[in-house]
Amino acid sequence: MKNWSKSQTAIVALVGSWLIIFGIIPIVLLVITSFLGQHPIDFFTPTFSFESYRELFNRAYVDVLLRSMKFAAVTTLLCLLLGYPFAWLTGRLPGKYRNLVLILLMVPFWTNSLIRTYAIRMVLGKKGFINLFLLHTGIIDAPIRLLYTDWAVVVGLFYLMLPFMILPLYANIEKLDYRLVEAARDLGANFFYCFKRVVLPLTLPGIYAGCIMVFVPTMGLFYVADLLGGARQLLIGNLIKQHFLNAHNWPLGSAESVVLILIMAVMLAFYGFIVQRLSGKGGGV
Amino acid sequence: MKKRSILIPLILMLCWSLVAVTAGAAEKVYVYNWTEYIPEKVLAQFTEETGIEVVYSTYDSNETMYAKLKLIKKDGYDVAVPSAYYVSKMRREEMLLPLDKTLLPNIDSLDASMLDKNYDPANNYSIPYMWGSTGIGVNSDYVDPESVTSWQDLWDPRFKASLLLQDDMREVFHMALKRKGYSSNTKDPQEIKEAYLMLKELMPNVLLFNSDSPRVPYLSGEVDVGMIWNGEAWMARQENDAIRYIYPKEGVNLWVDSFVIPKAARNVDNAHSFINFMLRPEVAKMCVEEYGYATPVREALPLLDEKVRNSRIIFPEKEVIEKGEFQNDVGEALPIYQGYWEKLRSGM
Amino acid sequence: MKYLKIVYFTGIFVYLYVPIAIVVANAFNIDRYGLSWEGFTVQWFGMMINNAGLMEATRHSLVIAVLAASAATFIGALAAIGFSRYRFPGKRVFQGTLMTLMMAPDIILAIAFLVLFVMIGISLGFWSLLLAHITFCLPFTMVTVQARLNGMDPYLLDAARDLGASGFQILAKIIFPLLKPALFSSWLLSFTLSLDDVIVSSFVTGPAYDVLPLKIFSLVKVGVNPEVNALATLMIVLSLVIVLISQLLIKEGENK
Repeated sequence: MKNWSKSQTAIVALVGSWLIIFGIIPIVLLVITSFLGQHPIDFFTPTFSFESYRELFNRAYVDVLLRSMKFAAVTTLLCLLLGYPFAWLTGRLPGKYRNLVLILLMVPFWTNSLIRTYAIRMVLGKKGFINLFLLHTGIIDAPIRLLYTDWAVVVGLFYLMLPFMILPLYANIEKLDYRLVEAARDLGANFFYCFKRVVLPLTLPGIYAGCIMVFVPTMGLFYVADLLGGARQLLIGNLIKQHFLNAHNWPLGSAESVVLILIMAVMLAFYGFIVQRLSGKGGGV
Repeated sequence: MKKRSILIPLILMLCWSLVAVTAGAAEKVYVYNWTEYIPEKVLAQFTEETGIEVVYSTYDSNETMYAKLKLIKKDGYDVAVPSAYYVSKMRREEMLLPLDKTLLPNIDSLDASMLDKNYDPANNYSIPYMWGSTGIGVNSDYVDPESVTSWQDLWDPRFKASLLLQDDMREVFHMALKRKGYSSNTKDPQEIKEAYLMLKELMPNVLLFNSDSPRVPYLSGEVDVGMIWNGEAWMARQENDAIRYIYPKEGVNLWVDSFVIPKAARNVDNAHSFINFMLRPEVAKMCVEEYGYATPVREALPLLDEKVRNSRIIFPEKEVIEKGEFQNDVGEALPIYQGYWEKLRSGM
Repeated sequence: MKYLKIVYFTGIFVYLYVPIAIVVANAFNIDRYGLSWEGFTVQWFGMMINNAGLMEATRHSLVIAVLAASAATFIGALAAIGFSRYRFPGKRVFQGTLMTLMMAPDIILAIAFLVLFVMIGISLGFWSLLLAHITFCLPFTMVTVQARLNGMDPYLLDAARDLGASGFQILAKIIFPLLKPALFSSWLLSFTLSLDDVIVSSFVTGPAYDVLPLKIFSLVKVGVNPEVNALATLMIVLSLVIVLISQLLIKEGENK
């Protein structure tokens, strides 16, 4: 640090202080708040207490957390199953088509998520597009309920998050050395063998990246569940919001957030671990 | 290269002009109200007469409003419209400014029986704006209105995954408490618990919770039966008169929403002007006719359109009011309700 | 096999675009509920423009988005430069913080900011919103610029330094110009993230400063609404424009 010019010091100072004030301190405050005592009227009492964490192990919260994780997991799986072929095929397309496909993928991505959720509502409603179509063609004779169900929520989440799966997958697949696949083919391997032994290991980092980019944010997208699922059952995001805002129970809301951050951190650490092991094996990352 | 170097100054200029326009120094009043509660034309008329711009924000539940007001210690909203039991809660927690009655001459046009209630004695902190009820809504094209005449009927297994419930803790508990024959303002933990257990059995029948605009799911065909505010039912009938409003046998839920001035208000005089304006008979008339809720402004009643004045939905008969119960403060029992409500909503 | 590919791609794109297409089509439909085509009209756009609350919220959102994107791009670029070229204590911690900011679900960021602002005493409104937006855009801009930096020729900078250029000159005359495409991509990304943000905004904005996503949220919650259709159409067009611009920039960047 001794030989730093003025500009270097300025940069580090600016960036550093911003990150400290608006990045590190809020998170630290959050953790501290989770250890404070609760108060019926004020936001908290300035005493040290484990009561929020003890309350967390109450069955209700565990259920909510598990339910949120279930939604996130199903969405992630759906995105993976449908997004992987997309990323692969796009990677194999010739240049000009590839760009076109990517542009077409990006437009929904850049469109406001509320607008897209609203669009799904118009499609799924009892007087919506799907029902109108099915009625018109005579496949059904009364509208079926699609909206305000768990599946509506999954469809909505999948709709929003698909690009988040495809993009990291594609970034990884694009760097893939196809000659490895060709070599395997030349050596007589069939499609499944190729996929299982060559392609899958090579694209695993992309898969994990995509899964994390979908799973983590989906845990927090409670407003989609509100709009499409009827707000019938709380997800972890709703719960945190309710405790923090409506019940102004800051310690409890903070404790729930800390747990969520820990889960997230564990998944990220796992991802880092996988990537490292694969690079160690020479897996062509 | 040339294109890009123009872009930055252009953007900066755009910013500047936007900021400059936004920083206009007109007189303002910040009003925080339920969704669909004051017609646009009323706000426009107010601004035209007084020159005060109304900056309008909305909420869909008392809890949201309360949470926001608690957070804002200064430069906050000038006017809010809580329900009665939140008026007393906020009054107790010293979140409200006392009203200056000298600035509110139109109080005289109010029905005296709606004033000086125990949630705000002498109306030192609040002035009633509108009152109404929460009852049963039914789409008679799909569900026979004769078959749904009491809260109890909502528990019928044939309504599995079909009901709309208001996203309001007190209103939902009212149904169960009334079924049990208790007061819906009870503070007795045992009674509240029994209500919770009864509501637990109702949960499989619930399709969705909605307080933003409860009539929309009825109109769009997603829901055919459930709870609904009387005003929403009235508005729904304008578009589809198959939608009916039913006063349940056990007793309908009655509520009053009042104007208050939060402590962090910055335009206190403008707030008073606004409230006084809203108490005018012609203004009250416009609100009633637009939304279908009842007004405490006595002098507005003769001005109303005949269909409105005679509507049972807006102005229920005395027997209905006596059978029903006005929502009131539950004091320290509120957290008990909140705990059970959360359990219900978490699927417990 | 090729046939299968086409079917697959078409399927995915149909799925992605049909809902949007329906909304756009209904923005011009006289029928309020979009159940059947009743005729072409632009009245909903007129109604939308006359909705003063909506227009004001839009203005607020645009101001915040532009300012936040600009600040986040600037700070993010500096951060990328700092991280890739300098060593300093606590570097790991800062990188971890940025990672956390990027990956954390919005709800957690929202309440963390809320706690911070309330504790510091910043009143909720324009400034709290702006600071929060800049912060959550920051990791994205940093990553974008860093990707570009890593592809840069290190010898270029060494050559410049050998020729006697000061740190500042290197930054201004060499690094920033080369980064331009990445800077613009970052700016566009931040702009979009800011306009899209619902959760953080709903926690940290104040009475004076209503923003578009919150307004849209309350409108969308209500149900089908022709004004929302009109607004949605405009926003979709805006996204299209942004995508085209960013693609042009990438092409220009590659041409260098």
